[in-house]
Amino acid sequence: MSAVAIEAVSKSFRQHVAVDNLSLQVPRGSIYGFIGPNGSGKTTTLRMIMRIFFPDAGVIRVLDESAQTQRSILDRVAYLPEERGIYKQMGVREVLRFYAELKGFRDSRADIDAWLKRMDLLAWADKKVQTLSKGMAQKVQFIATVIARPELILLDEPFSGLDPVNAETLRDAILELRRDGATILFSTHDMSVAEQLCDFIFMIYKGRKVLDGTLESIQDAYGSDTARVRLDGAARLDDLPGVAKVTDLGRAQELRLAPEADTQEILAELMRRGRVRQFEIGRPTLHDIFVRIASPEETNHA
Amino acid sequence: MRKMFVVALREYFAAVRTKSFLVTLIIMPVLMSGSLLMQWLLRDYHDTKTKRFAVVDRSADARLYSSIEKAIQRYNEHTIDPATKKAILPRFEIEQVAASSPEPDAVAEQRLELSQRVQKGELFGFLDIGTEVLQPPLDESGRPKKVVRYQSNRPTNLDFPHLVEEPILFAIQELRFERERVREPISRLRAILRSVPIEAMGLTRRNPANGKIEDASLQSRIAPVAVPIGFLLLMFMVVMMTATPMMQGVVEEKMQRIAEVLLGSVRPFDLMLGKLLGMTAVSLTITSVYLGGAYWAAREYGFAEYIPPELLAWFVVFQSLAALMYGSLFIAVGAACTDMKETQNLMWPVMLLAMMPMFLMGSVLQEPNSVVATTFSFVPFSTPMLMILRQSVPPGVPWWQPLLGVVLVLLTTLLCVWAAGRIFRVGLLMQGKGARFGEMFRWVFHE
Repeated sequence: MSAVAIEAVSKSFRQHVAVDNLSLQVPRGSIYGFIGPNGSGKTTTLRMIMRIFFPDAGVIRVLDESAQTQRSILDRVAYLPEERGIYKQMGVREVLRFYAELKGFRDSRADIDAWLKRMDLLAWADKKVQTLSKGMAQKVQFIATVIARPELILLDEPFSGLDPVNAETLRDAILELRRDGATILFSTHDMSVAEQLCDFIFMIYKGRKVLDGTLESIQDAYGSDTARVRLDGAARLDDLPGVAKVTDLGRAQELRLAPEADTQEILAELMRRGRVRQFEIGRPTLHDIFVRIASPEETNHA
Repeated sequence: MRKMFVVALREYFAAVRTKSFLVTLIIMPVLMSGSLLMQWLLRDYHDTKTKRFAVVDRSADARLYSSIEKAIQRYNEHTIDPATKKAILPRFEIEQVAASSPEPDAVAEQRLELSQRVQKGELFGFLDIGTEVLQPPLDESGRPKKVVRYQSNRPTNLDFPHLVEEPILFAIQELRFERERVREPISRLRAILRSVPIEAMGLTRRNPANGKIEDASLQSRIAPVAVPIGFLLLMFMVVMMTATPMMQGVVEEKMQRIAEVLLGSVRPFDLMLGKLLGMTAVSLTITSVYLGGAYWAAREYGFAEYIPPELLAWFVVFQSLAALMYGSLFIAVGAACTDMKETQNLMWPVMLLAMMPMFLMGSVLQEPNSVVATTFSFVPFSTPMLMILRQSVPPGVPWWQPLLGVVLVLLTTLLCVWAAGRIFRVGLLMQGKGARFGEMFRWVFHE
């Protein structure tokens, strides 16, 4: 049984097609990462799952609506919009209690305290939200989202703007929610987070699904066509035979190998040009795959 | 259902617990009554600068001027407070201007000259007594034509013409006596012709406490006008005080993306109704504070009997309905806008609806049961204010009218809440450009 089943869904705003014939199955208990450039339809998809928007065509099924449970479907799903989404004038504890009750979760006091403690916010429990720093406010928003123990959690850019410590706290919290049985769907621009955290990765580009699967299956589809190279001394690499594209990472270079390229020949050529510190053949990173799909020049090549 | 109350409670406390709420609660009546208070404080204040007037007496031999001069002299003796020796009223100076020849052109020329002197500030105004003043000709309807005129560029200050009106009349009466050779002393005729004023009063009644018959009091004359006007102003003020912050709250929710979270938890209709209930509770809080204060003041000054409990109850009913109905309109406006500035443009039609009863107030007070007043009090957007206005003017309205009004307003409110919910859901997520009315209309009927 899927937590979310999207079948052939389309949504347009006036002339602009935001989501185009999209299908997706999110298994229960999984962590599903949404990636894609800005304006590619991630937020629209999340909002359609939340029934804030209705699709023009297609069907979206969320959880098992026929299940014998006291809670309505809205109460079992939670959504953290990108940035803000919280009353600034209210106290931290007060606003959390409000969001819990809004989801029909009445006896929330103990849960609120537990979450505040674990997010290191207990000292701020009675302060107004507007007095918090951005990172703290973001943690409060996260607690507000999950306080009512939802079964499906949609997070829009939960990690943006968090320092590494807070990002780690949040990651742990997400993993623990999953352990407790929740399904988590989140969008992110941080490819390393997606690589580390997600069971499945889903990429949407110009409203269409371009990637969907586990990290391994996505990388397998691209094969081992990437070489990471570090050379002492600057050398021009873009005329290397058998290399389709060079990405300068600063202290290292990433070479995308042409099909049928001979890695031994490339290494030999590199050794002629300078002292090789590192030469590693591997699968492309998610970041690289993202760029290949979404950067304008790549699109032109295709 | 429960969520609706969760929303309502939050709205209520978010509104009531702010400092600005308390400040507005105190400031508003001060502002509203400020102008009245100002007038009352300044009632004894007069500009004591000497004012100069010209008088053109075109009557035969200009025999009226001396009477005017005498009247002005008598008046000037009272312009200084004998105790403090300070001027309390402006001194009047008059000068006689020789009448021009009676040709219309010459008369017009002279009036222009005098008007120019007023323009320059040499004169405050001038009095022009026509040649036919002794026996003004009658117009078609049999009333005497007006042949004495007072011209000034400050037409609101009529102290001078009021002061000289009676002396001129008396002088003319004496001249007429002379002409007709009446032998009787004029004082006798004045006694015979003395006018008979009528005083408008309320009803005489038996005091239920001591069984004595009481005459209509001063209060009984003021109350039938003051109570309805007070009710109307209070209702309008409370609606504005609560609906405007509510609308700002909606815009804020939209800008802060809170709306998305809310809509992910509550149905738009419940959310809307919750907000409105919260707002209605706020308006009832304000109402009870003000009504309580007003009732105490009314008892203190002997007005209490003119605010019967059932009228108060009806006021609370219509106040709640007004809060619900206008609140839903304001929320719809807030939901359709992306920032506070945009609300200004969309707000004026709503304001106009809310102010319509104000425009009709005068005519309804005059004839509370006329066809026009009755009809408009059944137009739902005017019902709360106009119905309470009609109810509070004696003798009141037939019992079924307020009930029918309540039903109509409730139906309208439900419709508004539903429409506002639709606009809220679509409009809240619109970023960037605000909506026009046509678009709002589409949102309501488009799924």
